[in-house]
Formats: sequence, structure tokens, C-alpha cells
Amino acid sequence: MESSKGTEGLAGEIEVEAYRRLFPLPFYERHLLESVRPDARPLNRARDTTVALGPVASADGSALVKIGDTTMLAAIKLEVMIPSADAPDEGSLAIEFHMPPICSPSVRSGRPAEVAPVISQRLSDVITSSEMINLNELSLISGKAAWMAYLDIYCLNADGCLFDAALLSAVAAFSHLQIPLVSVNDDGRVVAVSGELTEGKSKLELVNKEKRKLSLRSKPFSLTCILHEKYILADPNSEEESIMDTFVTVVLDSWGQLVSIYKPGGAVLANMSTIKACIAVAKSRVKELNNILNESLSEMEVD
Amino acid sequence: MEYVNPLTGFRLDGRRPNEMRQIRGEIGVVAKADGSALFEMGNTKVIAAVYGPREVQNKGQQINNRALVRCEYSMANFSTGDRRRRPKGDRRSTEISLVIRQTMEACILTHLLPHSQIDIFVQVLQADGGTRSACINAATLALADAGIPMRDIVTSCSAGYLCSTPLLDLNYIEDSAGGPDVTVGMLAKMDKVTLLQMDAKLPMDIFENVMQLAIEGCKAVAHYIREVLLEHTKQLECHRGA
Repeated sequence: MESSKGTEGLAGEIEVEAYRRLFPLPFYERHLLESVRPDARPLNRARDTTVALGPVASADGSALVKIGDTTMLAAIKLEVMIPSADAPDEGSLAIEFHMPPICSPSVRSGRPAEVAPVISQRLSDVITSSEMINLNELSLISGKAAWMAYLDIYCLNADGCLFDAALLSAVAAFSHLQIPLVSVNDDGRVVAVSGELTEGKSKLELVNKEKRKLSLRSKPFSLTCILHEKYILADPNSEEESIMDTFVTVVLDSWGQLVSIYKPGGAVLANMSTIKACIAVAKSRVKELNNILNESLSEMEVD
Repeated sequence: MEYVNPLTGFRLDGRRPNEMRQIRGEIGVVAKADGSALFEMGNTKVIAAVYGPREVQNKGQQINNRALVRCEYSMANFSTGDRRRRPKGDRRSTEISLVIRQTMEACILTHLLPHSQIDIFVQVLQADGGTRSACINAATLALADAGIPMRDIVTSCSAGYLCSTPLLDLNYIEDSAGGPDVTVGMLAKMDKVTLLQMDAKLPMDIFENVMQLAIEGCKAVAHYIREVLLEHTKQLECHRGA
């Protein structure tokens, strides 16, 4: 507290932007006392979120998600593969998260960002454990052919809460995914069939009758909160993340069940009531995200 | 295959032989970058981000009287028809990175920014032919957004020759037809060519026509880019409360 008392005296003399850069923590604490943040958000409000479905026309399913300035582009490409012997009726997923150098000044070309593989792994874990996707739906011919879904998520602008935006874009892309029509050609290989051909060549035996979407059992949504002393800040931007290092990510599915909690260390130790408060904030955010996603989906149907 | 319909003269996507695809440019798409731009030529979508001038990261490469310009070109895994496995580091990406770097280096006034580094990162989100040109155009917009001093706007456009007709701005199908593909990059107002690439065989007189067509395309792109920059400057003026 002594250091902040010392800076209080300086505060009157230097202008706001300089104070913000030189003493970021006291700057934030001044705001937190009034229960508000420098961008005028209350502590438990997340930034404006938008979801756009189908920006990448060449992919089988895609979504562009923006949470504040953080932008994620997710696209799914399906390829036919031979299923493994111990799971002949299941397809599989490969999820990769990329942080290209355009997204942030701290990512150097040649050296990938530290957080990128971490987020990649966590996304895989959450999507698998939430059982959103029934892998049997990705099967084509039992034991011979199944779909391999390659999900690639690119961060185009990194401004905090990368995991939340990435998960939302993955869920949105899977909601938008349409499995293409395929048939077996003379060599016994499965080939994709475009819509126009089905009218002319009725000899082609279609393996699946119509383009269909996956039925997603429950969609996981997440919220990251930063803990600082006794405050909980929901949906931090990159400035807040760089100053305060303790964060908790809560993943809930659309039924309100807890899928994952992730708190990797940090200076602040959280007790049960803090965690419960984080979960409560996450619950309301999950409802919000579910509504936003459903709105985008219904807009697509209308088209 | 009929790339140009002999009766109507239209190409596969309904364009005339000397018609470009629809272009669209937007400045300031990556908030954290010093300068950034999104450029679309038809279905080809490219994002460029410029970081700099900033301190040289590898002191061994520092140049004492000029700025160091680095460029990296990478394609998203889903950008082409089949999913790519190695989006950067493969030979084509390295070659295009070099080409873009040398093209932009020719027009940046590097002697004004010694001991510094300018990074140009280009990410292809959707590839439908003409990615090289779209990247150069996006990089120009991003450099202008970053306020880096340049001699002139660099614009680029490609042209080809199929079915005995010079065609402007090839898309992926026309590009993979095996005919010649001429890419031109030029400084618009100074009327100087900085980049010229061609593969495949072409007789000299036809080459002149095709190159002239590409130059016209570059001038059209430069006209559009100038409009986008002017619009952006007017908005900045409004925000400043002039």
C-alpha cells in the first residue's frame, strides 16, 4: 500500500495515459474501487460478442467470432479416411489452434507463441470431454470409410480471452458444418459428389442421402475471469491479462452442467466462494452465448 | 476446356477478358498492429499486418543506415481446396515471402529509419488465384495505415493468355489451366515496374500485350486503393475533431 500512496501524490501531476503505462496496477485499483473498469464495463460484464457463420466458402463449416477486439476464424474441412480397427464405426477430429504473427506484436515469426499449443490441447480436451459430437455420425461405411474432421482455428487479433473466443468459434463452426454428399466410385474409393451430378447420374450410389448437419448433444461455452484481491473481472482484455496474472476458466455446457474448470496457478488463491461466484457469472454468460449462436443459426436458415 | 466462350466472349465466371474481379480493401482490421489491412480480389481474401518500425530483434542483422524489412507469407490450412499440411516453410511460401519483401523494400524509404525493423506479415484466408497480387496490395494498404514513408503506392495484378485471348486477373481455375501467368507489380504514379514474373512460354509480341493488360489492371487497383486511403484519412480527420 505504501507504493500506491507514493504514486497517489504523483497522480495529480502526470497525465492519465502516462500514469496508466507507468503504474498500471494502481490505475486499475482506482477503477475497481468504483466497481468499474477503464473501458466502462462493470466487473461481471463481458465484451460485445458477434458470431458470423460461413465466411470461408471453400470449407465445409466455418465461423468468424469476435469478442471485443479478439477475432477468431474457425474452419472445418472433411476428408475421408479409414477408421481404426478398434472403432470401426467412428470418425475422428483433429483440432489445431494457430496464432499467426499478424495477431499480436508479441508473436515473432519463426517462434510460435507460447500459449498456442496450450490452447490447442485444452480445446481438444474440452470438445472431447463435453461429448458435443457423436463420432458415430461421422462414419460412412462401417470399417471402411469415415470422416476425419480437421478443425483449424486462426487467431486474427489477440486481445485477451483467446480460449473463450476459440471455443465459441469451434462450436459455431460445428453448428454450421454440413456433411457433403459422397458415393463410392469404381475403384472402391469414396469420392465427394457435388449437388448437380446427382440428377444426371443415378447410377452413382449415394452413401448418405442428403447433405446433413451434425446433431450436437450439448454445446460447451466458456468464460475466463481474472482474480485480483477480492475482485472478479469477467472477460479480461489483453491489458488486464498482462497486469493481473491469476485467471480461472469455467466451461459449462448448454444444459448448465460443468464441463471443465481451469486455474493454472497465479498469485491469488481462490476459495470455494470465489469459485462459486465465477461459476455463477459463467452461467449467465453461457445463456447469452447460446442465444447469440442460436440467432446466427436461425438467420442462416432463413437465407 | 473453354476458358473463353467463342460465341459470347465471356469467361468461366462471366467476366469479359479485360475485366478484373471485384476488389475490396479495408484498413485497420487488426487492432494491435501498427498497420493492417484486409484485401479481397474476388474470392481471394488476404490479411496483412505491419509491425514497425521497431527495434531489431536479431542484433546481428541490424543495418546501420537503413531499416530492415522482413516479410512472412502464410496460407491458412483451409484456404485452398484440399487442406494444406505445411502452411509456411514450404518452398512456394518462402519464394512468395521473398518476392513480397523485395517488392515492398523497393518502395519504402528505408534510409529514413535506420537501426529499425519493419515486419510485414501476410495471411491468406481464402485462395482463388492471384494471391501474390492480393498480398502486395494488402501490404501496401497496411504500410500506409502504419504511416511508414513510401515512395509511391505499389499495386499488383496478374494476367494470362488462354484460348488466344489475353485475360486479366486469373482465378484459380484459369491459373491451373497451364497457360502463361504474368504477375506485374508497379509503382502507380511513377509508372515504374518493380515486379515482373512469368512462367510458361509466350511469343514476344503477345507478351507485350499481356503485360500491358496487367499494367492497366495495376493502375485500376491503384485508383481504388487511393480512394480507400482518402476515405480513411477523412474518417481520421473526423475523429480528431477537425
